[in-house]
Amino acid sequence: MPDISLEKVLFSYPGGVDVYPQPGLSLALESGVTALVGENGAGKTTLTKLLIGLLRPRSGDINVAGLDVSKTTVAAMAKTVGYTFQNPDDQLFERTVKAEVTFGPRVLKRPPADVDRGVAAAIKACGLAGKEDVHPHDLGLSERKWVAIASALASEPSVVVLDEPTLGQDYPSRQRLRELVMRLGSEGKIVLVVTHDMDFVGEACPKTVVLSHGAVRYAGPTSNAFGDRALLKEAGIEPLHVTGLAQAIGLRQCVNEAEFLATWRR
Amino acid sequence: MSEPAVVFEDVGYAYEEAPREAVSDINLRIDAGEWVGVTGPTNAGKSTLCLLAMGLAPHFFGGKLRGKVTVLGTESRAIKVIERSTDVGLLFQNPFTQVSGARERVDEEVAFGPECHGVAPAEIEARVGEAMDLVGISALAARHPLDLSGGQLQRLALASLLAMRPKVLLLDEPTSQLDPAGTAAIFEVLSGLHQSGITIVMVEHRLETLCELCPRIVAMVTGRILADGAPQDVFNREVVQERVGLPVYTRLALSAPLPAPWPVRLSESAKAFGTPIA
Repeated sequence: MPDISLEKVLFSYPGGVDVYPQPGLSLALESGVTALVGENGAGKTTLTKLLIGLLRPRSGDINVAGLDVSKTTVAAMAKTVGYTFQNPDDQLFERTVKAEVTFGPRVLKRPPADVDRGVAAAIKACGLAGKEDVHPHDLGLSERKWVAIASALASEPSVVVLDEPTLGQDYPSRQRLRELVMRLGSEGKIVLVVTHDMDFVGEACPKTVVLSHGAVRYAGPTSNAFGDRALLKEAGIEPLHVTGLAQAIGLRQCVNEAEFLATWRR
Repeated sequence: MSEPAVVFEDVGYAYEEAPREAVSDINLRIDAGEWVGVTGPTNAGKSTLCLLAMGLAPHFFGGKLRGKVTVLGTESRAIKVIERSTDVGLLFQNPFTQVSGARERVDEEVAFGPECHGVAPAEIEARVGEAMDLVGISALAARHPLDLSGGQLQRLALASLLAMRPKVLLLDEPTSQLDPAGTAAIFEVLSGLHQSGITIVMVEHRLETLCELCPRIVAMVTGRILADGAPQDVFNREVVQERVGLPVYTRLALSAPLPAPWPVRLSESAKAFGTPIA
């Protein structure tokens, strides 16, 4: 049984048209890291909000890690799903980094030992050690983004949803993000990364779902997603830099640097 | 020799109550018509550089400014931001902070700047139409600015600047909220503006993009300029490689390893890697 499943999900914003065309969005995701890509307005962020019950579908079923989302409150979903908004300022409100990261597990009434462990691990993994007492709004955008990610991880959820995590991140920070995402995936968590950053998809996400105009156009291994030029164009996806280079010199398709170098040496 | 557009002379700046300077020892001359990319890790001082050129630092943010920032011949201490804004436009990193909040329609928001400066109504109408058309938001004219998506808001913020017909554009990650198609469209607009002689200073993390677009790159680290020059010169320096990171093409060439100088753009990279080694 898939860990996340959506079955014929229909949704529209008040006064708006259907985000997902008839007969609705159906999608199954398993554990590991999956990238969710597609043009602005494709329905990516809407999908993630449906997964945590922040938005409710008009019809259709959504199951996340054994929970029927329609029968679960947003607060209860938070035990299972760690979520970061695209804009960190939408979710930061405490006065220190430590308080912010602690907020989730504290409100979820986790045992104090679990809270301490989760918070310490999240702060370390997100490179925030030494900044525990800083006010989140005294940090730059990139670091506020990390505070939001740490907050999502602190409750040790089995599902992690990251909306545009690489936005505004410099190179060392992207590397840390890559390591973090891959580690979460290898621990058997379900990690969903919404992103326009295709190089990050190639480096860190073994699976990819392509949404275009609210419909799933591809779901499968990332390595196969970037070969179909027509699909990329339709979904407004930029080809990877390594893929472009491989094509330019007549190599077979590659989606990350290690693959490129191995193919080139052969 | 071209006229200087933006000149920093021994500039240091500390925000109010900050224990240390956000930027120090900045010496930089950007000539009229240049398109300069600014990059560097978090806290490098890139946004501060933009705020200083706009005059928001120190006029709005207070703090302590050392040295001189001169834009289009006027030192920043000697000109108010409102006067500066007739010639210089700053696109904030977060477009949400850019919208006035005082206008209920996208087209009215774009008109806000010229209205504040008393531009004639017919002229405003022409400028607003042109600016919205350029960045591709004409269809959103009647929408409320705060109902827009992040990407749409970013385009609106840029249109608001263009309606002022600035000579210098300071852009802090101008496409951070946009998808690839939107990004490509905005860069095309910027290329057109560059061709028409507008000076552009653009903060950007995507080094591949920066190398393709900007003939000159300024790499900053912890408030100082680490390297300043043509993309290939900047990214072939070891200290930049270590502290700023590299375009994917340069990284691949280094790991291959290929001999220096290492490429920074696709075309050079394809040439350097050539046909596969047997």
